[in-house]
Amino acid sequence: MTTDIRHSTGSGLFGRLRSLTARLTAPQNHPLLLPLCAVGLALLVCFIAIWLTGRDPIAGYQKMFLSGLGTLRGLGDSSVKASVLALTGLSVAVAFAAGLFNIGCEGQLVAGAIASAFVGQAIHPGTAWIHLPLALLAAALAGALWALIAAWLKVRRGVHEVISTIMLNWTAIYLVESWLVTGPLSARSETGNSLPGTAQIDPTAELPRFFGQRSDLGFAILLAVVAAVLVWCLLHKTWLGFEMRASGNSAETARASGIPVERRVYLAMAVSGACSGLAGAVLILGIHHQYPAVFRTGYGFDGIAVSLIGGNHPLGLLLAACFFGVIRTGGAALQLLHIHRTFPELIQGLALLFIAGRAIMEHVFLRVHERASAAPENPENTGGDAPEKGTKVTQKSEISAPGGQEAAREARSAQGGE
Amino acid sequence: MLAFIEAVIRSTLDFAPPIILAALGGVISERSGVVALGLEGMMRLGAFFAAVGALATGNAWAGLSLGILAGGIAALGHAWLSIRWRSDQIISGVAINLVAMAGVTFLVEAMYGNTDTAGSATIGRVSLAFLKDIPILGTLCGHTWLTWIALAIPVAMHVLFYRTSLGLRILAVGEKPAAAATLGVSVSAIRYGCVIASGLLAGMGGSALSIATLDRFSNHMPAGQGFIALAAVIFGKWTPLGACSAALFFAAANALRIGLESSLPSLHNVLPSGIMLALPYVLTLLVLAGFIGRSRSPAASGVPFDTEKR
Repeated sequence: MTTDIRHSTGSGLFGRLRSLTARLTAPQNHPLLLPLCAVGLALLVCFIAIWLTGRDPIAGYQKMFLSGLGTLRGLGDSSVKASVLALTGLSVAVAFAAGLFNIGCEGQLVAGAIASAFVGQAIHPGTAWIHLPLALLAAALAGALWALIAAWLKVRRGVHEVISTIMLNWTAIYLVESWLVTGPLSARSETGNSLPGTAQIDPTAELPRFFGQRSDLGFAILLAVVAAVLVWCLLHKTWLGFEMRASGNSAETARASGIPVERRVYLAMAVSGACSGLAGAVLILGIHHQYPAVFRTGYGFDGIAVSLIGGNHPLGLLLAACFFGVIRTGGAALQLLHIHRTFPELIQGLALLFIAGRAIMEHVFLRVHERASAAPENPENTGGDAPEKGTKVTQKSEISAPGGQEAAREARSAQGGE
Repeated sequence: MLAFIEAVIRSTLDFAPPIILAALGGVISERSGVVALGLEGMMRLGAFFAAVGALATGNAWAGLSLGILAGGIAALGHAWLSIRWRSDQIISGVAINLVAMAGVTFLVEAMYGNTDTAGSATIGRVSLAFLKDIPILGTLCGHTWLTWIALAIPVAMHVLFYRTSLGLRILAVGEKPAAAATLGVSVSAIRYGCVIASGLLAGMGGSALSIATLDRFSNHMPAGQGFIALAAVIFGKWTPLGACSAALFFAAANALRIGLESSLPSLHNVLPSGIMLALPYVLTLLVLAGFIGRSRSPAASGVPFDTEKR
């Protein structure tokens, strides 16, 4: 869809504002406008929610944003949360690129977490150069294997991945938390009694931190950034990535052009699961240093939110992950105002809800765009039907109504075609 | 031994209603062609608002109505997004879950200054005293009204689906919406109705947690029961009676696990609770994979209906 906007000149602040609005809401800007508006609206709704419950929203937002950035410790917490969110977000985005909806990040994360906790305490190579990569590799492998079950079920048995990954989530959670961690892998005290969680990992398996005990700022965020770059390269710079995206766009077309779609499904799910597995490893090797007795993260579902808010693009979702990492760290500070620390998750959930309603938002953008670009000051904008001066109001509605409907229909058919 | 079996049956009938009701919500939504991933969130809203209503009025039935209504309103939003705007149903389902999860936590804290509510009135019990002394049948007495409602609705839905023209229309819309539309059936009206009904049912299921099984809302609710319900929908092959049986089966497995753990603590070493807890999901995967029977989803489930595309 192309739009031709000629900007009116010399019609004062109002005209300039109008042309700016027209330019901002042009269809090519929607991919950027949509997540910004979704997050902005979510922040607004939550602001009002705090105000309605009789607490101070300005102080709340100040605390929420500043405590995650203001101190070295806060920055460290934010960076770990951001990297976990980014890795699960990447997991969702890779699968999306290949036309798969991986809802099973949570289960793959748990699989990766237990694998890294196991390797972290079971082997003792004595040097971080061997131990840490092995622990990370184990996590990535475990996550990938767990995701491959869903891929196999899809390719060989025709099971939709959304259903199978949900079932695999709970299977992983219960098998790990109510069996492995309390049974075979539980830590033992000197007297042989089982202790909560698995044994502590060796210091050589811990993710290095830049400032020692003072902050968790360290390798976690680097790992997430490297993973994002690698995923971007895989998807957009390699033949394999092209074939994955082609399979995602239209499996039939891809198959007709000789792409082994099934193998690309396996690859996409394996990479996706590996990212989620690494997210689990970051939590274990970076923060807990054992698989704790209580470890219900919910980060898996957050990955869906982060990926979609970031436009399913590695860079976009990295930014989204940083934003939510910061405010989720700030959630702890909200408790001073008697707001539950999960409050930032509400912002995240609402933002996802607004993304789910993207068709509505795009409809509104288009209407605004039509209104603003069909300004009476620049009648040439409307093509041949240049209105005469004098009856501005009625003309405006005449011009914008059919154009708006047409654009909306076009947008809707584009939506349906996705 | 008889006492043990009776105890398991009794607690099955107490555990099952929330799962049965939510699973029926899943069945009616999916059979009309709209994916039901938001069951967990709708149950949570139902559980919370039922407790709110029961606390505010002192009447459990008023609480139940509010809980049902809350689930219905969430479903209305889901329906509007997925039918009017043809949004991705999976995304809006996940969004409902996330918003309900954090939003209810916020509301509980704001309204009661705690993560749980205080104890409230609960749904009354049906005594059926005349059965009391008969073995096995005696387990039927003393359950709440919701247990009986949850057992009656599957039958009603079965009749609706397979014995009425409305039901056949619903099934047609879920399988071949374009064909149904050609015959003059309003696809969007049927889907709106079914999705809202799914929210009402999931809301009722959630209410059963907070004003029947327990007497208060607790922040961990529904603790994944919405997803068990989804598993029951699939395990029951998208039919009302099948989903109800699957829900009863999963509830019985859970009751058996708890019963065994309390009477035989050493069993944990042989058969860890994690394996028992994972069982419903593993079984569902096996069914999906075609190793035990075969389960096929409604053909148009998850596909927005577009009148311009035939």
